[in-house]
Amino acid sequence: MNLKRVWTLIKNDTIHGPKDAILVMSVLTPILLALFMNLAFGNIFTDRGKLGIYDVDHSELPGILTSSTSIIVKSYDSESELKSAVSRGSVDMGIVLPVNFDATVNTGVVNIKAYVWGESLAKNRALIPVVLADSIREMSGSILPVKIDTVALGDESNVPWSSRLMPLTVLLSVFFGGIMMPAGSLIHEKQKHTLEALNITRATISEIFLAKGVIGAVLAIIMGLLTLTISGGFGSSPFALILVLVLGAVMASEIGLVAGALINDMNTLFAIWKFGGFLLFGPAIVFMFPQIPAWIGYIFPTFYVVKPVMDISVNGLGFNAIILNVTILGGIVVVMGALITGITHHLSTQSLQLHG
Amino acid sequence: MNTRNIRALMRKDIALFINNRFYMLLTVIGLVCYIGLYFVLPSNVDENLSLAMYAPEMPPVFNQLTSQPGTAVQIFSSETGLKQSILDGNYQAGVVLPSDIMEIWNHGGIPVITVYYNSGAPPEVTTAIVALVKELSYAQTGQVLQFDTTGEVLGNDLLGAQIPLRDRMRPLLVVFILLMETLSVASLIAVEIEQGTARAILTTPLKVSDLFLAKGILGVGLAFGQGILFMALVGGFNHLPLLMLTTLLIGSFMVVGIGFFLASVTRDVMSVTGWGTLVLVLLAIPGIGMIIPGLISGWAKLIPSYYLTDAVSRIANYGAGWRDAITNLGILTGFSIIMFWAGMVILRRRYL
Repeated sequence: MNLKRVWTLIKNDTIHGPKDAILVMSVLTPILLALFMNLAFGNIFTDRGKLGIYDVDHSELPGILTSSTSIIVKSYDSESELKSAVSRGSVDMGIVLPVNFDATVNTGVVNIKAYVWGESLAKNRALIPVVLADSIREMSGSILPVKIDTVALGDESNVPWSSRLMPLTVLLSVFFGGIMMPAGSLIHEKQKHTLEALNITRATISEIFLAKGVIGAVLAIIMGLLTLTISGGFGSSPFALILVLVLGAVMASEIGLVAGALINDMNTLFAIWKFGGFLLFGPAIVFMFPQIPAWIGYIFPTFYVVKPVMDISVNGLGFNAIILNVTILGGIVVVMGALITGITHHLSTQSLQLHG
Repeated sequence: MNTRNIRALMRKDIALFINNRFYMLLTVIGLVCYIGLYFVLPSNVDENLSLAMYAPEMPPVFNQLTSQPGTAVQIFSSETGLKQSILDGNYQAGVVLPSDIMEIWNHGGIPVITVYYNSGAPPEVTTAIVALVKELSYAQTGQVLQFDTTGEVLGNDLLGAQIPLRDRMRPLLVVFILLMETLSVASLIAVEIEQGTARAILTTPLKVSDLFLAKGILGVGLAFGQGILFMALVGGFNHLPLLMLTTLLIGSFMVVGIGFFLASVTRDVMSVTGWGTLVLVLLAIPGIGMIIPGLISGWAKLIPSYYLTDAVSRIANYGAGWRDAITNLGILTGFSIIMFWAGMVILRRRYL
């Protein structure tokens, strides 16, 4: 194995390799999906009402309202902006806080102008004024005439949909590019008979495979990091997360190399991708629906990528909590590596279609 | 124009479409999934904050809550029954008032009110109910807040007649069904060019315009047929069916036009799939904006599918008429003509 030759192959493949649909889909689809999930599912399944505020005189009230978890508060710079946001449904209700609002609250009657979105739900129309009143009372220092105890019933935990869908985004970002890039590249080389040209140089099949694997893995790592950045999920152990992503990317790339070695055309690759997608994305479904028994996830090899990622980025756990899963993932990577070594050593040049 | 040859070409394309398992599968599974998804989604909107309450002695202000718009309060006869109902998932939260609440307040004391909530409930539910209980307690003890609001409702006031999520999704789903045909049409043309059969066909008496016409009719027919099937099943023709049909037809022209253009700027079927997916995502954005109000603003009008999605949404969900939809339909028609023309010109120059 000559690392200098591998580096040359990587450089040439990156610069002169095909920039086709697979590259476009590998790079753009995960980013668009992550953006969509973040934008859409961050809010779509929340019942929280949205209040827009145009604060004319820098009142304390927006700060107090923002700290409330029962509604979402957005600020606007003018009344026309506020009205436009209400008309579009960006907020359920928009209020204009008048000049001297804070001082008037303690001395007399304050009149607040409010705009209500016509499609706002009745509960939001009822609750937003309640939360508003509660915050004004907090501001004016009212003494609460009651003590409220809150008691949770049951042991089910609330997992927001943005978190439930995160495994799918992460898996897609790491595994689509990681698998399809090396597989597509090998199939492309086989179809164009360029592997034959490479074979007459001093580059070995192992070096060619390694170069293509590295490209796939690097792309998978970059896409995984980008997706997590968009989703805001680096957690408290970013280095542990990067380690998991690196191992996941290597695993994806190894699967891609095996597929590329055994498959001869792109249609078959896509057909296998459609079937194999279930095996790859199975853990994402387990994470999406907590009703599915957790043990099912352990069957899928990609579970050992998703679980540590979720533990770190969503559950806030540290490296110690993920050691077992990372060790299993490392084991899978080693086994896959041995399989590829076997393939490169034992597959005849004919089965790799080096001579057409 | 040779209609016999066009028909023969269309028959060949239909066979090609059916034999292309990837797009055939996408079309059939997609259609079934979209229809299934529509019926799985909730058919009504729960506008009210559902709340369980156990109050051996009901303070007058708390009693008003039972008739307040936006809240649906169920009074329980025991605390145990209330807790069980929350555990069963019938209510996300419940309030238990002490039996001597009025007596405590009358003596200047501070009673303890318990708010039970299902541990799976979103946190905002509990905080909202706590805020509600606090406000009612203030009102009951005579601490009236000195503030007043003057409200103005912007847009159609749909209080009590909200559009369910599944109906909000109708424009997105039907536009997505149509958009899938962009890929099919572009793929049909790309296959002809990639395999060199387009040139072979043109050695027959068939003209270039006939070739495009055959592909166009097939593409529009496939898109329009699926659009009609979907909208018929999900009640999309309940209001002004002719207007909806016209909108779908123009939408079908638009997607085929985009398909022609896509095929003209890509090299092969793989490129069509890659770039087509990107175009598909871009064109779906206005539909996503329909289900998440306020997500997109004026910039979405730069995306041509906005005018299709907006027209479908207005007609199906807001009872719009010809006059409301005519501008959108005009823009769509203009855009479709440009796409058709550009696609044909580029294809003719590049390959034929």
